[in-house]
Amino acid sequence: MTARDRRLRHAIFMRALPVIPFAVLLIVWAAGWEIARPPLITLPSPVEVGQTVRRLWDSGQLQANTSASMYRWVLGFGVGVVSGLLLGVLAGLSPLIARMVEPVVSFFMAISGIVWLPIAIVWFGLGTPTVVFIIWNSVFFLVFANTVLGVRSVAAVLEDGVRTLGASRVHIITRVLIPGALPHILEGLRSGLGFGWRALIAAEIIGASTGLGAMIYQAKEFLRSDVIVTGVIVIAAIGLLLDAGLGLVERRTIERWGLVTEGAGTR
Amino acid sequence: MRAKIAAGAGDASAGPQLRPRGSVTGSPRGPSRILPLLFVVPFLVIIAAWVLAKSAFGVSDAALPSIGDVIHASSQLIDWGILPYDVAASLYRIALGTALAIVIGVPLGLLLGTSRYGVIMFGPFLRFFRAVSGIAILPLLIIWFGFTETTIQVAILYTALIPIIFSTMVGVRTIPPAYRDAIETMGAGSARLIRDVYLPGALASIVVGIRLGVGYGWRALIAGEMLVGAGGLGFMIFGALQFHALGQIVAGMILIGLLYLVIDRLILAPVEDATVRRWGVQRG
Amino acid sequence: MVRRSPARAGQLLADHDVTATSKRVPPTRQGGRIVCRGLAHTFVNARTGESVPALDTVDLVIEPGEFVTVCGPSGCGKTTLLRAIAGLITPTQGQVSCDDVVVRGPGKDRGVVFQELAILPWRTVRRNIAHGLEIQRVPKHEREERVAYFVGLMGLSGFEDKYPHELSGGMKQRVAVARTWAANPRVILMDEPFAAVDAQTRLTLQEELLRISIMSSNSIMFITHNVDEAVFLGDRVVVMTKRPGRIKAIVPVPVPRQERTVEAMADPQFVLLTDQVLHLVRGEVQ
Repeated sequence: MTARDRRLRHAIFMRALPVIPFAVLLIVWAAGWEIARPPLITLPSPVEVGQTVRRLWDSGQLQANTSASMYRWVLGFGVGVVSGLLLGVLAGLSPLIARMVEPVVSFFMAISGIVWLPIAIVWFGLGTPTVVFIIWNSVFFLVFANTVLGVRSVAAVLEDGVRTLGASRVHIITRVLIPGALPHILEGLRSGLGFGWRALIAAEIIGASTGLGAMIYQAKEFLRSDVIVTGVIVIAAIGLLLDAGLGLVERRTIERWGLVTEGAGTR
Repeated sequence: MRAKIAAGAGDASAGPQLRPRGSVTGSPRGPSRILPLLFVVPFLVIIAAWVLAKSAFGVSDAALPSIGDVIHASSQLIDWGILPYDVAASLYRIALGTALAIVIGVPLGLLLGTSRYGVIMFGPFLRFFRAVSGIAILPLLIIWFGFTETTIQVAILYTALIPIIFSTMVGVRTIPPAYRDAIETMGAGSARLIRDVYLPGALASIVVGIRLGVGYGWRALIAGEMLVGAGGLGFMIFGALQFHALGQIVAGMILIGLLYLVIDRLILAPVEDATVRRWGVQRG
Repeated sequence: MVRRSPARAGQLLADHDVTATSKRVPPTRQGGRIVCRGLAHTFVNARTGESVPALDTVDLVIEPGEFVTVCGPSGCGKTTLLRAIAGLITPTQGQVSCDDVVVRGPGKDRGVVFQELAILPWRTVRRNIAHGLEIQRVPKHEREERVAYFVGLMGLSGFEDKYPHELSGGMKQRVAVARTWAANPRVILMDEPFAAVDAQTRLTLQEELLRISIMSSNSIMFITHNVDEAVFLGDRVVVMTKRPGRIKAIVPVPVPRQERTVEAMADPQFVLLTDQVLHLVRGEVQ
C-alpha cells in the first residue's frame, strides 16, 4: 500500500468515526420504533420527524418561529455584547473598580436568565420584550465579567512598553488593551452566545407565544412529540452554527495571533 | 477577578476553564485595610437606587416591591413553612442530579478519554447534545413523564452530565503519557491505572466539570420547577406571579442567587482550589 | 568535558562504606537476560502516510547483572530500542525476549526510568517510591523498609513527605530512580535519566547510580548522549549509527565498577577508551 493510499484510508476513517454514534442512534431509534410502535404522543419515528419537518416548512411555521427567535436573539445578544464590552472596558481600566464590582457581578450572574422571568413578565408582559430582556441579562454579565478580566490581564509590561513610546491614553486603550483582552472577550462572547440562545428558548417556552421555544411548548399541549423533536433538532442545529461561527472569528483573530487561551484545544 | 467567571454561568464550549489567568494588579498605593470591605459599595449603590426609585420616582408597587415588602414576604414565607420546603426541594434535586451525573459521567469520561478513538468518535455527538439544553427537552420530558419529579430530575441529570463527561475526558487526555507508561512498566493492571493515574490526574479537570455541571443543572432546575409546578424555588417565584406577590418574587430571586453562590463559591470552589493547589498540578 | 573533583572521589567510598550498610541492603533479584534478535522498527504517520524507519536490525544481548550503556547521535533510535525492550512499543520486525520469554508488553520484570518527569505529582516522595511495591503487594512493613533504604541511599532523607512540585529537578529524578530500583525489576532500563539535570548534580547522580549497581545484581541498560557518562557507567558501551540505527560497535570497559574513581578515569587506558567511543559517535554525526 502506498503512502497515498494509507493517507486516504486514514482520512476516510477519521471522517467516518464521528458519524458512527449518530448513525447508531438513528438505527436504534428507527428499529426501536418499528418494534415497539409507540403512539405518536410518546415518540415519533425518524420518518415521521422528516415528514413533520417538511410540513412545518411548507406551512411556513418553521420559518416564522425560527425568525422570531433569531430576531429576539440578535437583539438581546447585540445589546448585551455592546453594553458588556463598553462597561467592561471602563471598569477594567481601574483595578479598584474591577475588584469592587466583582461580587455584585457574580451575584447577578448567579441569577441571570430565567430567574428574572417572573419579574420580567410583570414589567413587560408576555412576548418579545421579556424574551429580549432575559437574553440581554444572560449575555451582559458574562461579557462584562470576561471583558474586565481580559483588560486586567493584559500584561502591564505591554502597556508600559507602549507608554514609553509616548502613546496617549486612548491609544493605549484601543491599540493595546482591547486587542490584548481579545482572548477573554471572545471567550465571554462564546459563552454568552450559547447562554443567550439557551435562555432564549427557556424564556420562549414559558413566556412567549411565538418562536421555537413556544412552538415546542405548544406542541406539548397537543402531544405532538414529532413537532417537539423537530424543534429540538432545529434549536440544537442553530446553537451549533452560532458557536461554529464564532469559532471562525476566533480562528481569524486570536488563533492567528497565537493568543490562544487554555482550553482552546478542546474545541 | 478570577477567571472562574465563565465557570459558574458560562458555557463549557472551551471545555473546563483551567487555571485562572492573570490577576488583578491592585494599585500599589491602595488602602489595604479598607479594600476588603469595598465590595459592599456596589450593593449599597443598588439599594440606594432601589430606595430612590420608590421614594423619589414613585415607582408603583405593581412594578417594583419596596424593600420592606421583600423582607415582609420573606418572613411570611418562612413562617408558613413554604420557604424551607421549597429550598429543601430544590437543594435535594440539584444534589441528587449532580450525584447521579458524577456517578455516570466520570466512568464514561474515563472510558472515552482512555480509548484511542473515543474522543474523536463521540466528541461531535456530545457537542450536539450539549447544544440541546436540558430546558429545550423539558417539553419532551413532560410528555414522557408528566408534570412530575422525574421530569425535573432527568432534566438536571441530562444537563449536568455532558460537562462532566467532557471535562473527565479532557482531564484524562492531558495526563502526560509518561505517567501511564511508568506505572505500566511496574506491572500495573487497568484497575490500578485508573485508581493511581487516571483518576488523580484528571481530578482537577473533573472538579471543574462538576462545577460547570452544577451551574447548568441549577438553571435547568429552576426552569423545570417553573414548568412542572411540583414545589421548589423556581415554582415559588413563578407561582407568585399569579398573585402578583412581587415581594415574594424578589425575595425568591435573591435567595436563588445566594444559594447558588454558596454552593459554588463556598463548597465547590475550595474543593477545586484544594485539588489543584495541593498537588501543584500545573496545566496549560 | 566536565571533570570530577578528586575530593569527591574519596568521599564517594567513605560516605557509603559498603560493608557497614550491607546488613541493611535488601536482596536484589538476579538480573534478567535480554536478547534482541533482528529488532527493527518503522513508525508510520497515519495522517500523512509517511513511514519513518527508526531502528534497523539490532541484535543485542544483555547478560544478567550487566550494566550496558547505549549512546549514539540524536534520533538514532536509542529510545525506540529501549521502548521495544520495555514492551511499550511492538517492533515491526524482530523480537525481544527477557529470560527466554518473548516480550509482549510492559511488565514488572523490566522497569523503566524515563527521561521526562514520570513520578506522580499527587503522591509524596515516599508514596512514589513505594508505588512499585504496592503494585506487587509487598507487605507493609517490608515495603516501608525498602522505601526507607532507598530514601537514604538516594539522599532524599527529610523529603519523604514532600510532593514532587516542591523538589528540584535533580531530586525529582532521584525519586524516579529510587522508585524503579525499589521495585526491584530483573532488568532496569534508563532513558537519559540525567539529561535534564544540571552538570554538577549529574555527576553526583552518576556516582550514586554506580554505587547502587555495585551493590545489586539487576541488569541495567542506560541510554545517554554523553560519552563520558557512557564510559564511566557501562561494563560495555554500545555505539549506534545514525538513523535508522544499527549497532556500530560495542566497546567493553575492562575496569571493574568498584574501581571506577576519578583517578582511574584519568588513567590513559580510560582516556583512550573515551576517545575511541567519542570518535565512533562523532563519525556518525558528521
